[in-house]
Amino acid sequence: MRYAAQKTAQFLIVFVIVTFGVLVAMRLGVNDPARRMLGGTATQANIDAVTAKYHLNSDYFTQYFYWVKNMLTLDLGRSEIFSTDVRTLLRQKVPTTLLLTIYAVVLALLIALPVAVLSAYRRDGLFDKSAGFFSFAFVSIPGVVLGILLLLVFSIHFHWFPANSNKIYPWDNPLQSAKNFFLPTLTLALPISAIFTRLLRGDMIMTLQSDFITLARAKGVSPQRVLWRHALRSSVFSLLTSVGLQLSGLLGGAVLVESLFGLNGLGQMLLESLLRGDLLVIQTATAILVVGVVFTNLAIDLLYAVVDPRIRLARALG
Amino acid sequence: MTLITDTTSMTPTPLDVPPAAEPLPKRSRSKIHVGFWIALAWVAALLLMAIFADQLSFIRLPTAAVKNHGRSTAGYKLGPGWNAWFGVDSTGRDVFSKVIYGARTTLKVGLWSTVIGLLVGTFMGLIAGYFKGTYDRVISIVVDIMLAVPPLVLAIIIVYRVGDLQQDRPGNPGILKWFTRTEQITVVLSLLAIAPLARIVRALTMSLAQRDFVLAARSVGAKNFRIITREILPNLIPAMMSVAFTGLALLISAEAALAFLGFSVETGTPTWGKMINASYRDMDKAWWATLFPSLVLFLTVLAFNVIGDRIARHYDIREAAL
Amino acid sequence: MSRNYPTRPETGVLLDVEDLATGFKTGRGLVRAVDGVSLKLDRGKALGIVGESGSGKTILSRSIMGLLPRRGVVRAGEVRFEGARIDQLTIKQMRQYWGKEMAMIFQDPMTSLNPLMKIGAQITEPLKTHLGMGRETASDTAEKLLVDVGIPEAHRRLNQYPHELSGGMRQRVMIAIAMACGPTMLFADEPTTALDVTVQAQILDLLEEQRRDRNMSLILVTHDLGVVAGHTDEIVVMYAGKIVEKAPTGVLFSQMRHPYTEALLASIPKIEQPSHTRLHAIAGRPPDLVNPPTGCRFAPRCQYAQDRCRQQEPPLTAGDHPEHAYACWFPVVTGGFDRPAATDATTDSNVAVTIGGLR
Repeated sequence: MRYAAQKTAQFLIVFVIVTFGVLVAMRLGVNDPARRMLGGTATQANIDAVTAKYHLNSDYFTQYFYWVKNMLTLDLGRSEIFSTDVRTLLRQKVPTTLLLTIYAVVLALLIALPVAVLSAYRRDGLFDKSAGFFSFAFVSIPGVVLGILLLLVFSIHFHWFPANSNKIYPWDNPLQSAKNFFLPTLTLALPISAIFTRLLRGDMIMTLQSDFITLARAKGVSPQRVLWRHALRSSVFSLLTSVGLQLSGLLGGAVLVESLFGLNGLGQMLLESLLRGDLLVIQTATAILVVGVVFTNLAIDLLYAVVDPRIRLARALG
Repeated sequence: MTLITDTTSMTPTPLDVPPAAEPLPKRSRSKIHVGFWIALAWVAALLLMAIFADQLSFIRLPTAAVKNHGRSTAGYKLGPGWNAWFGVDSTGRDVFSKVIYGARTTLKVGLWSTVIGLLVGTFMGLIAGYFKGTYDRVISIVVDIMLAVPPLVLAIIIVYRVGDLQQDRPGNPGILKWFTRTEQITVVLSLLAIAPLARIVRALTMSLAQRDFVLAARSVGAKNFRIITREILPNLIPAMMSVAFTGLALLISAEAALAFLGFSVETGTPTWGKMINASYRDMDKAWWATLFPSLVLFLTVLAFNVIGDRIARHYDIREAAL
Repeated sequence: MSRNYPTRPETGVLLDVEDLATGFKTGRGLVRAVDGVSLKLDRGKALGIVGESGSGKTILSRSIMGLLPRRGVVRAGEVRFEGARIDQLTIKQMRQYWGKEMAMIFQDPMTSLNPLMKIGAQITEPLKTHLGMGRETASDTAEKLLVDVGIPEAHRRLNQYPHELSGGMRQRVMIAIAMACGPTMLFADEPTTALDVTVQAQILDLLEEQRRDRNMSLILVTHDLGVVAGHTDEIVVMYAGKIVEKAPTGVLFSQMRHPYTEALLASIPKIEQPSHTRLHAIAGRPPDLVNPPTGCRFAPRCQYAQDRCRQQEPPLTAGDHPEHAYACWFPVVTGGFDRPAATDATTDSNVAVTIGGLR
């Protein structure tokens, strides 16, 4: 219980500091934020209404207090630059980014798990060496470059995938959706799959040298079972941590990939509202990103306890 | 993670100490590998060309318009060839010379931001890892906060806002004008490096602080400052060297990403990310204007990673959290 | 016990190892961990393999069982099990032996049980693999096995993880796993080293009891002559990858010939000595197995060594007793408990050893 309380406190501190920081950063030196948010054509009455509603002329703390209050009552307000209310806006943009990120993590794991396990099993073999070579290359390739190369080869040269991946959700048109999301997903997934592979391979090699693996082999259990049932489970801890650590970078990468492939998601929304000074949208968008990152890390922390009974025990006692 | 492997002690093996597992076959440590020298050569060549670009006759000025048989080449009218090795871009400028001049900016920004990030990150990590307690708690929260915001988002918010504050619009302060765009990018990139570096240094320091030689120094009454500078810092150096190169590689990628999104150094100064941003929409017409800067960017990042990796292997450092 | 063991002959040679050599390829060259070892083991008998760490005893047992990694390992010689050669078999073929015909228990049950798997799952694993048992049957059998090895509340234990048990209990679980499919041969690699002294004896007794009940052969690998003394029929003493002395247990203790065996014995604390008596260690360390010294490998550390020892390697020669053999040019004349002379085996008083076999 102490553990849960500690984690919650940690989350709250991070959340408050980040969102408050964004608020300050966005208002700093801006005399009339409402005018900025509403654009040049807004009437004075309009500006006054918005200023009053979001307490834009109060001090930072009051404004922050009302922002939090509005968030808690799910009153996210209205964005003039997108001429819609923020909740509808998020409903349009969040799924794209969410899908992109989930696809990328899942694809990265689907690549990394078998490659790492096989590499560790046949360590220094031909497969391990070539996998090592490719992982190194993919760890090193900047997202922009990978995206450009994939575009150049698969979309401009072969015309297999669209260059401009207007978002189409899988529940509307599964095939087209898969096609549109494929290159952006690959751009995000390949580098992290390489990171995952390297981490997991290293840990697997360590695990495979432990006594309990020799014991499992001495029982006559099949090599597949030794690898997947005994060795993998003890080797996933760095990988899990890394999934959490990569997530934040992945969301940043999503901004880039959305821009590169013309996917209209949270990243695009963030960029656009930033350039046009819509502090309300920026604040809400960063809040969502931070909550996403912190919650995923929290979930991973809980997953540790699922994987390892010793951690469960320690936490129950602690 | 331990950095220093214990050298086998020369004391006799007492019979009655229970043996651990008998020695496992150890892999022979590979010698410095050709890849390392190729990477070093690539970086050296790029650096030399970037530094002496003005003196080298085969490098045009990035602002010089390339003529083909006396005619303007604006609008990608010249592909890669003898006249312009990497072709020309939409304004008819030589892509090769822009790549070389771009290297100047990119390497300068990357190196400085790595140095700043390394100094601040190491300082934070050392304090947190050595003194623990309240210092550690405060620094860990700062690090958590920095890691919770997607790095690219943090960077674009800062760069955008600083640029905004500098403008002389009505109702705008027009401050911070001394802060050039290149400096902003450098500082923002170093901010991105601080949190991960501080984490690594903190973990390393914590394990070093437990080591016998540190305990021994403390037992003879050495002051904290002395222990940190004489016992801990020197042992951090191999790991930090490796991390510095890997970090440099990451920051160069981040710089390109920022530039690609339109947040880059002053107009008129080429960088690789900017070049990609300016031409990628025309890849179907003129692949060279995008592909060459991309490849040079990739190879440079790869080279720094190879160097970092080789240093890590040389000193037998297990891959730190990436 | 509900399991049926296939009918097997009661006596005769079970394991026959001939001239077994095992080396590891390293950057410095081939490490000859086991160098030309031959031994025979009858059904239902117990053999002790004794030596200090690095003597090759663990590698020998794993090499016989074929458990060493295939990459980077060189193996020569013959291993016959129930008359059939097993040293050339593939991993797939060896799996028919592992767990079913031969089983192994390790030094530290903390690291050799899978920490993330329930005890029950770890015991049922070989049952399902080799005997094709279903979940229920396997689970019932596992419970009986736990009762068999003296674990109280066996049913509840099935759902516990290794870290929830004490060291002695964990070692009993290991024995239960090893016994699961009724092996004919058990390798016990330092089974008591990681345990408390009081538990050590219990585990050794349990092993002995299981061996007699099942007519199983046992190879007991240890650094401690005291462990093998009461629990084996025969003892092999290894040094630097070679057998230096072998004899039936009683013969070895009454007529030991090799100075190394003598030194090993001197390093065991004895009840009759006053407490805090300094124990004796052998000065120096085992030789480099990439370039072993010419002549007798023990010569550099042997107090009786003479020029011949450093030039010519002594062969394994028969002693007075027909089953006694030792490899020494200048064997010690009498040995064992009667002769206190062995206590001045170490002259170097810097070699301080405080903790003895008492751990």
